[in-house]
Amino acid sequence: MGRLYILLCFLGVMTGLTFSVIAQERTNSATSSSAATPKETRVARGTPAAKPSSPSSATTAEDAAAVERALRVEGEKRFRTNCGRCHTAPHKFPPRVMATAIRHMRVRAMITDEDMRLILRYMTR
Amino acid sequence: MRRFTNGTRRHYACSMVLALTLSSFLAFRSDAQSTQSEDVKPVPLFTGSAGFLTSFDEGEAHLGPIVSPILLIPLKKRWLLETRATFESDMVQEPGLSGFHGKVAKAVDYAQLDFVANPYLTVTVGRFLTPFGIFNERLYPVWIRNLQTDPLILPIGIGPSNASTGAMLRGGFKAHSQFNINYAVYFSALSTASPADSDRFAGGRAGIFVPHVRLEIGGSFQHLLQQERSNSFGFHAIWQAPALPLDIRAEYAHSKRGSGYWVESAYRLSQLAFLHNEMRRVQLVARMQRFIAGILPSDPLPAANTKQFEFGLNYYFVDGLKGIGSYGRQFSADGNKNVWTLGLTYRFVLPLGHAGSE
Repeated sequence: MGRLYILLCFLGVMTGLTFSVIAQERTNSATSSSAATPKETRVARGTPAAKPSSPSSATTAEDAAAVERALRVEGEKRFRTNCGRCHTAPHKFPPRVMATAIRHMRVRAMITDEDMRLILRYMTR
Repeated sequence: MRRFTNGTRRHYACSMVLALTLSSFLAFRSDAQSTQSEDVKPVPLFTGSAGFLTSFDEGEAHLGPIVSPILLIPLKKRWLLETRATFESDMVQEPGLSGFHGKVAKAVDYAQLDFVANPYLTVTVGRFLTPFGIFNERLYPVWIRNLQTDPLILPIGIGPSNASTGAMLRGGFKAHSQFNINYAVYFSALSTASPADSDRFAGGRAGIFVPHVRLEIGGSFQHLLQQERSNSFGFHAIWQAPALPLDIRAEYAHSKRGSGYWVESAYRLSQLAFLHNEMRRVQLVARMQRFIAGILPSDPLPAANTKQFEFGLNYYFVDGLKGIGSYGRQFSADGNKNVWTLGLTYRFVLPLGHAGSE
């Protein structure tokens, strides 16, 4: 009887997880196809913005800077929200140290992939 | 130990096949998203915490040095080898001897290999902290905990030496625009090799985190697969007030060996207008807890019904270095007592290689 409970619990968790993954995938694909612009995608992946050699490229650089600022603000918010749940938020560490720490905390505190990327970005730039 | 029947084997076989199938499915779904998560190459770390705690328990002084080193070795893009050991002592004055004396207790808290399969799933094997409730896994280190005494219900559901030996599936993901879900399911085998001993049990924990209101709630379940083959369950909650530097944490746990709860609040005085630089480093803490003895005896749990109130003050000198002081009063059928604690805790981080970006 006890094993049946475990199996049922396990089934429940995995089923819920599967449905959530599918729902999330659908949301992601809908969002990425409608909202993400090539400019934002390039900045989010860390590609340097073009040099402002003309008015249009100057606008591009300003937009990229605005996106960068927005990502930093969001990263700091996620950092305070996630890290502060268990301990006082630490000062910034060097990038490679932070990369290891965030992988450790991803496992330990089960932070999401999106939170991990934003926090890592905030802490290393 | 009871022998397996054919039905039991079928249950386990079904569970394993199901777990592997779903894990594979989940692992291959979002492969691309996971691999682009880290642009910076991680470096192995030697980190951990150290502390020196002095407590006065019923008037008797105890000196408690403790060191908990952690070794983190990232392997490629998806693997992490992590281990933590603890060396601690409880030194007291022996009759007829001068000074304080005590043995050093050594323990391997965890030694686990993690594989980040995808954004939704991490597979862990080895010896890992049992994910029952939140204290054992997330709040245990001396530099993290707000009060240095363990909650009375801590031993419920975490097994001997606070760890499991086996395998675990876990992860956290954004399930909705308003909330994240985190989960852990695990199986632990019986191990009698001290200090890496563990019980045979299986269980899980799931939680919902609402970032907007900074609230996390969740529950844990565990089935013991030895001795009385009983069930344990618990609930936990963490809330950080968005407008105040206030943290509230609470846990409830129930088992045949006992049940109880603790509620803890911590408030940073950073909003005070005077002496701002000093006051923002001060944290006031209060915890109330209650334990109700169960129908079965247990060594690490109190033998009788117990209530305990504690008040503490923490001072954060710099990042990672904290001074602590607390007073607690315990009311028990076995006798009431006061517990005073003073100490220092420190968290260290040492990269084992070049720490800058590549």
